[in-house]
Amino acid sequence: MSKSENPFGELLQDYIVECLPLAEQIADTFVALERQWRAGEAGDEILASVKGRLHTVKGNSAMMGLTPMQDLAHALEDACALLSGLPASRDKEAAELLVGGAGLLVDLIRDAATRTDRSAAGRFVERVRRFLASAAGREAKPAEDRRHGERRTVGRSRESADTASSVVRVDFRRLDALLEVLGEGLIQHSSLVDLYRRLLRRVGPCTEIGELDLAVVTLEKTLKRLEATLMETRLLPVSTVIGRFPRMVRDIAQAEGKTVRVEMTGGETALDKAVLDRLGEPLLHLVTNAVVHGIEQPEERKAAGKSAEGVLRLDAASVSGRIVIRVADDGRGLNEAAIRAKAEALGLEEKAIDGAQLYSLIFVSGLSTAEGVSKLAGRGVGLDVVAGAIHGLGGTIDVTSQEGVGTAFTLSLPVTLAIVRSLIVEVDRERYAVPLTHVAETVRAEPEAIREINHRGVTQWRGDLIHVADGGAILGTGSSAGAPRRFYVVMTAGAKRRGLMVDRLIGHQDIVVKGLDPSLGRPDVVSGTTILGDGRVACILDVVRILDGAGHAN
Amino acid sequence: MRTDGPVIRDRLLGFADTLEQSAEADVSALGPELHLLTFQLEREEYGLPITRVREVIRVTDITRVPQAPPHVRGVTNLRGRILAVVEIRSRLGLEPAVVTPASRIVVVEAHGRVLGLLVDRVSRVTKVPGESVAPVPDDVRSTDADYLTGVARWDSRLIILLDLDRVLLLNR
Repeated sequence: MSKSENPFGELLQDYIVECLPLAEQIADTFVALERQWRAGEAGDEILASVKGRLHTVKGNSAMMGLTPMQDLAHALEDACALLSGLPASRDKEAAELLVGGAGLLVDLIRDAATRTDRSAAGRFVERVRRFLASAAGREAKPAEDRRHGERRTVGRSRESADTASSVVRVDFRRLDALLEVLGEGLIQHSSLVDLYRRLLRRVGPCTEIGELDLAVVTLEKTLKRLEATLMETRLLPVSTVIGRFPRMVRDIAQAEGKTVRVEMTGGETALDKAVLDRLGEPLLHLVTNAVVHGIEQPEERKAAGKSAEGVLRLDAASVSGRIVIRVADDGRGLNEAAIRAKAEALGLEEKAIDGAQLYSLIFVSGLSTAEGVSKLAGRGVGLDVVAGAIHGLGGTIDVTSQEGVGTAFTLSLPVTLAIVRSLIVEVDRERYAVPLTHVAETVRAEPEAIREINHRGVTQWRGDLIHVADGGAILGTGSSAGAPRRFYVVMTAGAKRRGLMVDRLIGHQDIVVKGLDPSLGRPDVVSGTTILGDGRVACILDVVRILDGAGHAN
Repeated sequence: MRTDGPVIRDRLLGFADTLEQSAEADVSALGPELHLLTFQLEREEYGLPITRVREVIRVTDITRVPQAPPHVRGVTNLRGRILAVVEIRSRLGLEPAVVTPASRIVVVEAHGRVLGLLVDRVSRVTKVPGESVAPVPDDVRSTDADYLTGVARWDSRLIILLDLDRVLLLNR
């Protein structure tokens, strides 16, 4: 093989790696769609959700010069577009066409490096074209369609028979169950490490101890691989949630007498389904807000020298292990004066002079600046609820805005909820897990370095003054001040920072997040529980809410 | 044994209902025998239908959960699952438990959830004839009678029957 072919081979591999999951998801989606149609449901959302992926596959295929795949994806796109407009044509035949086409697409992409005969794609494109033509005609003359339909079903191509070759449909609860088992494995591993350390202390270094060490480390690596693979199977593209937004935005805009264009990037960015499931509502709220409150009426836009059509951008990307989603509009921007006035009326004594801090006030309950209650937004559920939902996912939300230019919300989310690398700390002999994403630094607390201002501990950290709160007070450990605490953990969330005094730093550990039983009420300083290596249960600190002031009344 | 659980529970609950209607309820309607797991709180012996009990475990570490309701002692590790442990004593108006080697956690199912009850000592499984069950007499009314379905006098013992579903309605 000559050198010049190598780069292409690598590119081709990248193409397969990127497009195969997409094609498989498309195939999956069409199967779900078929089921919905059979149940007599419209399946509009599903139809809309698949467009982004088809588009990506089409684009990537075109870049690689793989015309058959490009044409096939294009044909499927056309079919989807037509079917969105023609509810009457959503029948068994249409579903089979989509499922068969997606199956063929999966096969062609999977074998892109080896298979040269791609004529099946051409034949399929022909078939789609015939279907589209007849469906369009059929919609005009509904009486004739049955006979046409029957004749063509006979020729049901063999492509659809190949569909399920590498796509397995699995109930998500099984993946949850697998994760549970993995979690138990991780816990058992930590207890092994614990045991190894105690053994080492008792018998001292020897060959067997060395081998045990190696075995424990190897086991950890295996568990990590298992975790990575399992996490991958739980991932779904963001487009499964945001894919339906363009259509919804269109409808909302229409009701508001506006026109809004949606531009999306990064729809293929993958997130754990557990996160995605809880992301739809807050995102929809932001999008609705942008269309209803952010983007102006066409006349107003024209008067301001903007295009009559508003633009809503949805961008998703994976940034250093977290998923960042941005919802931005080119509307009127936040009304700084109104926020300031409202904040004062509510008695929020914030010395928030600069914009960022002032804007972050819109996440405070009861501070919605929308003048009138519109039909679709501002029904009492405000940005405070959105922020709460994002925080509940271990995420952060920030806003930037410029009057007359637009508003952008930036969400930063963990890829997965289930396993979180954490710092284990001890406060009054109770152990707590602090997610490492929220830990900036751990510092040995020199008594003279922490001063008291207004009954709150303050210290100098990296050139800034930050508050330092006592862990025992925040967590209500009930013990009165004993020996001074030896460390503080600098916790961060967004722009907020605060130190938390603790007695001991135990170490880093991958913890498996377990929920809080409903009988535990709704504590706001802890977000969940986990099992440590020694089998004890530890609570996970809800850093975001602690930084928002949770626990300070204790 | 599990399959006849709901039947016994329904009868017990039904019995509790008839108690409310009339003090002279026909207790023989309970059927021939009750299988009870009995345990001790303070000096008194309490009983739960065995069909409601999943298992009895030793007390290992119970982790306090900040801001949890007062009747929740904390959480413990039940073979990799998190089990909330209810301070059943304070629920019945007694002082919170002091954990001793005899202390046990009775794992039960109520309101579709699995919960642990922290008790001072587990006695044994006892079979009690249905006719030995009587309404709660005034001398046991020191504890909240709302949480009791009746008392069984049997074999010179007095077993107080707990209404598990009521006593574990924790948001009350």
